Amino acid sequence: MVLEIRKPRPLWEILFSTHHTDVALLYTVSSLIFLFMGGTLAMVIRSELLFPGPTIINDPSIFNRIFTMHGTDLLFLWLLPFAAGIGNYLIPIMVKYKDMAYPKLNAVAYWMIPPGAALVWLGWADIGWTAYPPYSIIRAPGPAADMWIFGLKILGLSSILSSINFVVTILKCKHPDLPIMKVPIFVWAMLITSFMILAALPTFTASLIMLYTDRLGVSGFFNPAMGGDPIAYQHLFWFTFHPEVYIFFIPAIGMAYELIPKFSRKPLFSYSSGVIALILLGLIGFASWAHHMFSTGLSFIEKTVFMVGTLAAVPMSAMHVFNWIATPWGGRIRFAAPTKWVYGGIALFFTAGAGGVVNTAIPLDFITHDSYWVVGHFHLFVMGTISFIFFGFMYYIFPFMTGRMYSERLASIHFWLMFIGAILTFVTQHILGLFGMPRRVYDYVSDPDLIIMNQIASIGAFMMGTAMATFLANMIHSTMKGKPARMEDPFEIGEQYYDYRRREPHH
Amino acid sequence: MTTGEESPIIRTSSRRFAKGLAVIVIIMAIGAGINLGFADFWHKFPPSNQLKIQEVKGGESVVSTGVTREFELKFVESADFRTLGFNAVTGEAEANPPIEVNVGDTITVKVENGGKMPHAFGVVSNPEDPNTIVFKAAFKSASDPIKSGEKGEVTFTPTKEGEYFYICTVPGHSLQGMQGKFIVKKAEGAAGGAVAPAKPTGMSHSFDFAFTESADFRTLGFNAPKGEPNSNPEIRVKAGDSVTINVINNGKMPHAFGIVSDPENPNAIVFNVKIKSADNPILKGQTGSVTFVADKPGHYFYICTVPGHPLQGMQGDFIVE
Repeated sequence: MVLEIRKPRPLWEILFSTHHTDVALLYTVSSLIFLFMGGTLAMVIRSELLFPGPTIINDPSIFNRIFTMHGTDLLFLWLLPFAAGIGNYLIPIMVKYKDMAYPKLNAVAYWMIPPGAALVWLGWADIGWTAYPPYSIIRAPGPAADMWIFGLKILGLSSILSSINFVVTILKCKHPDLPIMKVPIFVWAMLITSFMILAALPTFTASLIMLYTDRLGVSGFFNPAMGGDPIAYQHLFWFTFHPEVYIFFIPAIGMAYELIPKFSRKPLFSYSSGVIALILLGLIGFASWAHHMFSTGLSFIEKTVFMVGTLAAVPMSAMHVFNWIATPWGGRIRFAAPTKWVYGGIALFFTAGAGGVVNTAIPLDFITHDSYWVVGHFHLFVMGTISFIFFGFMYYIFPFMTGRMYSERLASIHFWLMFIGAILTFVTQHILGLFGMPRRVYDYVSDPDLIIMNQIASIGAFMMGTAMATFLANMIHSTMKGKPARMEDPFEIGEQYYDYRRREPHH
Repeated sequence: MTTGEESPIIRTSSRRFAKGLAVIVIIMAIGAGINLGFADFWHKFPPSNQLKIQEVKGGESVVSTGVTREFELKFVESADFRTLGFNAVTGEAEANPPIEVNVGDTITVKVENGGKMPHAFGVVSNPEDPNTIVFKAAFKSASDPIKSGEKGEVTFTPTKEGEYFYICTVPGHSLQGMQGKFIVKKAEGAAGGAVAPAKPTGMSHSFDFAFTESADFRTLGFNAPKGEPNSNPEIRVKAGDSVTINVINNGKMPHAFGIVSDPENPNAIVFNVKIKSADNPILKGQTGSVTFVADKPGHYFYICTVPGHPLQGMQGDFIVE
């Protein structure tokens, strides 16, 4: 470990360390493990849908459990911890402080993830990652659903604790000689993400408690039989989880801002527009939650407000994309793996955004609602954009984590298989939705159009599976036996990135 | 800052990484062991709130007596809103008339809010707990009540004898007087004009039905989707004949079979003729069979008892002469 301190230590010492690089390593490695676990389930889902009718899964409730685990795992155990891991590595270095503000709290926040993940993974609840009532409160079998609720509760608490830590580190522990408008944009991204988590998450935390007491039968917040309103849950849920989409995305934006100028060997085109667009995106994220609920009987005025609120994110996203395109313009671009992933991610971000504009238009939303269109749109975003940039950053941080270089050839195979696979799978899923295929089904009408499109989507998914196997092989082999990286400048860009020889006292 | 010579760059080693990988694999193996070892346990228990509801839901669907009864109830409030009642304020003679019915009767209760407060109607097993609704006999609820001056009606079939209460399900109103007795008795013999069972004729018939769906799943029917030539054949038998019905599910959706007195009410089963039910249906490709004696003349219907399916076409005439 290069970003680590002093000398190699026994594993248990890293496990129980409170140093930010050690916690960051734990976050990053766990998130990658969960990425592969959730990805395996995606392969099962696509294999089932390769042909109509029950093929490899005969019981629909098992299929429900699989897609529930797939969603819950990849959102809460891959995207969030990976961003927190990279934040832990770089934020203290970027704000020039010896560690996170509260190192012990930092370790506690990490150590809440394994029990939360264990609860979620042991039970295999079948409620979907949204856990909509009434199913989740009157039918979903326990203790799986109860374990899911408690698992998410613990994971939510962990997010809140790490957010507090990031906010305090950035605002209070920043070096006094470093003005806030000079820190890398990644620091801004983590700051805004943390504020969004603090503002958005308590709502969901409350609604989890309400779900649980409803399941016990002592309350009836969402139980229609007791005078409750299931739609109220959707409001509470999406008040957290629409901002959450930006919480997933903004760290990726920050990473893109970190990678693009470096690999273009040129300063960022416009720092202030990037910061302003990030802040506005963070605010606007709270003005669009009910666009998930257009078909629940909202009034025309409510729908219009949320349509406009959703579309308001477009100018900010465009500001970022403009910055990302204007920065490399005229630069000497170095096409290493991180560059490929970032530009691939931006290309797919554009596609996903175009689909999002269709979704948010009220009349078109009614056509795409609850169809495979939504699945395609969402995956193009979280997989095609956010995860792509995360993979790029993983390759980028790899030499700093291990002191070794990954295999550029395998990384290239990983990227191209993934890029083509993502387009095949997720763009086809958009069209499947327009052909009327509902989401979350394990069987579909054996109509030739649906069959061929599902098979294209599955083949794309298998390409992505192969790509991820390449990634795993690359990570394992390069960590063990990779070529030693030239630490002054592992990517041959001609600048020093981080003060990687910093040796701060250990806690 | 120190220089490179003083603190050398530390690179990961194969051995160390393999150790870490081993730890991860062991943890995952233990997790998988716990998960699979208790595979049946994780999905064993329904939510606690269901235990209560299952208790009061009443029995299964019952043999319909064919008797239809109608009652009218009016929500009434005293001038100071302290005392409430049905038809008259509690304490007056005609307030809260007791209702007596038989198991299997089709009951229609017409309610009218003659007061100024919002109300809601329900038949419950415990007059102090509006959540103990029985026979699904409820009209509106405390969160979506009957407003002043509004009317409505609810139709249901009592499935279990006993002493129940009809109340206003708005919390507190039943304690203020809005409760009356609702007594359900066993249907004995030819109650309410029902005809005595016919003697067995010794004749027996056998009919085969296939649940069929159109390609777009919009139109359903027996033997063919509704509207096509062989769809939903009319069955005529003599009272007392023994009838055997064989069904097969040729569609993709789950179905269930029953003979009912009212095609829109899957609970109005007659002669106790049913094969499976909406909760535990006949799945794609499965078959079922039932034999019974049609001992009461009348115009009945054979339907798919999965809610909604009769309206999509899965109903045919079953006439006992």
